[in-house]
Amino acid sequence: MEINNHIAIVTGGASGLGAATVRMLAEKGARVAVLDINENLARQIADEIGGIAVPVDVANDSSVAAALATVRSRLGIARIVVNAAGTGIGRKITSSKGPHPLESFKRVVDINLTGTFDVCRLAATDMLGLTPVTADGERGVFVNVASIFGFDGPVGNTAYAASKAGVIGMTLPMARDLAPYGIRVVTICPGVFDTPLARAETGDAGFQRILDLVPFPKRAGKPSEFAQMACHIVENSMMNGEVIRLDAAMRMGLMI
Amino acid sequence: MKVAGLTALITGGASGLGAGAARVLSAAGVRCALLDRNLDLARELAAELGGIALGCDVVDGPGVAAAIEEVSAKLGTPRIVLNAAGIDVAIRTAGPKGAHSLEEFERVIRVNLIGTFNVARLAAQAMIALPPLNEDGERGVIVNIASVVAQDGPIGQVAYAASKAGVQGMCLPMARDLAPHGIRVVTVAPGMFETPLAAGIPQAWIDSIIPTIPFPKRWGRPLEFGALVRQICENPMLNGEMIRIDAAIRMGIDRA
Repeated sequence: MEINNHIAIVTGGASGLGAATVRMLAEKGARVAVLDINENLARQIADEIGGIAVPVDVANDSSVAAALATVRSRLGIARIVVNAAGTGIGRKITSSKGPHPLESFKRVVDINLTGTFDVCRLAATDMLGLTPVTADGERGVFVNVASIFGFDGPVGNTAYAASKAGVIGMTLPMARDLAPYGIRVVTICPGVFDTPLARAETGDAGFQRILDLVPFPKRAGKPSEFAQMACHIVENSMMNGEVIRLDAAMRMGLMI
Repeated sequence: MKVAGLTALITGGASGLGAGAARVLSAAGVRCALLDRNLDLARELAAELGGIALGCDVVDGPGVAAAIEEVSAKLGTPRIVLNAAGIDVAIRTAGPKGAHSLEEFERVIRVNLIGTFNVARLAAQAMIALPPLNEDGERGVIVNIASVVAQDGPIGQVAYAASKAGVQGMCLPMARDLAPHGIRVVTVAPGMFETPLAAGIPQAWIDSIIPTIPFPKRWGRPLEFGALVRQICENPMLNGEMIRIDAAIRMGIDRA
């Protein structure tokens, strides 16, 4: 499906992978709604690309419903939805600090997994009422962001890995659920990317140490490279129900 | 990496997926060398695209080495290699017609798996001598074609599935072997595509498979495959990964 002139929603669109995707979608002619919990940052990006900023807490169902209603009334119904909102915590399941708090586990799952599902179920429902845009009968596409953590499971990441493995697991059933309506679902699993979340998780020294384990290219991914992949998925109608690692061939062993 | 002005070596480039990728890459400014057992067909497309044609069997060690030398002399050493040459047979492991012919099994493994490895090893060796193209130190990319059959294992496809699972299995170690030289390796696993390989499939089987494709409910087009190959060439973070491009098809036991 073409990107030009379509309406796009990017959650977590104010920074990192989401912001880069917002910019590239806008460059390709989409009208973009930047959904983010950080409304000020979302407004800056939205102003820069001529889109709209909508505050949202993806872990809060009524906030998600309200945000989608705002997009509907101000831009229309989105055919492109990129779920890039996410959070993480580094904590072992048990340690000298005691057991992993249950609340923080639930919080990560609420944002990364349930939040992604919530946006998908509501945005897909809106999409059903749209007319198809291609001869195939295509109505729209979801690009969800998981993580190689969902496969590789590095230490101290039970909550993040569980939430992202959930996003990976949703891909195929969601693609099958929505196929009769001409809606595709594809998931990207980024490796190490230079984003505020990654920097905050590891610290600068930890970030450098992780980069030593990347085969090639031996650096953090650029958010624009993620955006490039996301845009290709939107544009290539044969891409559906697939989970794509975008990680410079990185596999995380026991050492990190 | 930027593809304009680079040389691509495309095996099986005279038809099907190889030809689709050759058209897309050529339109992006790539000089294409089409290596095919069907030299006449390769010449036709090469003339159309302004590239060159080479008649060669992918399992022929000295033949492929000579072909790479010829391409290097005429167009420049290839920095893009697409292994699209492949064959298929439909025979069951055992049954009323007798045991699966060992010769047929070996023939499929030889072309699909050993041929892919042969071209990859020789092309990589030539690439290592080239100067890097960019600040990442990137020298080139090898794109191999596996198949969804490698993972889904439909009936009567034991040789093809084994050969393509071999291609899948080579992806990560090859990516790791070549990472120090700035060469990426990515594998594409196509689902059902409009190709000459598929042209031998009986119409009744085609009619029975379309309902099992989620969306879009049709066979893929070689140009859609080519678009993904271009994305792989252009996105440096794609490495060591196999990407299914299959409209979300998974082949169940009902595909008899």
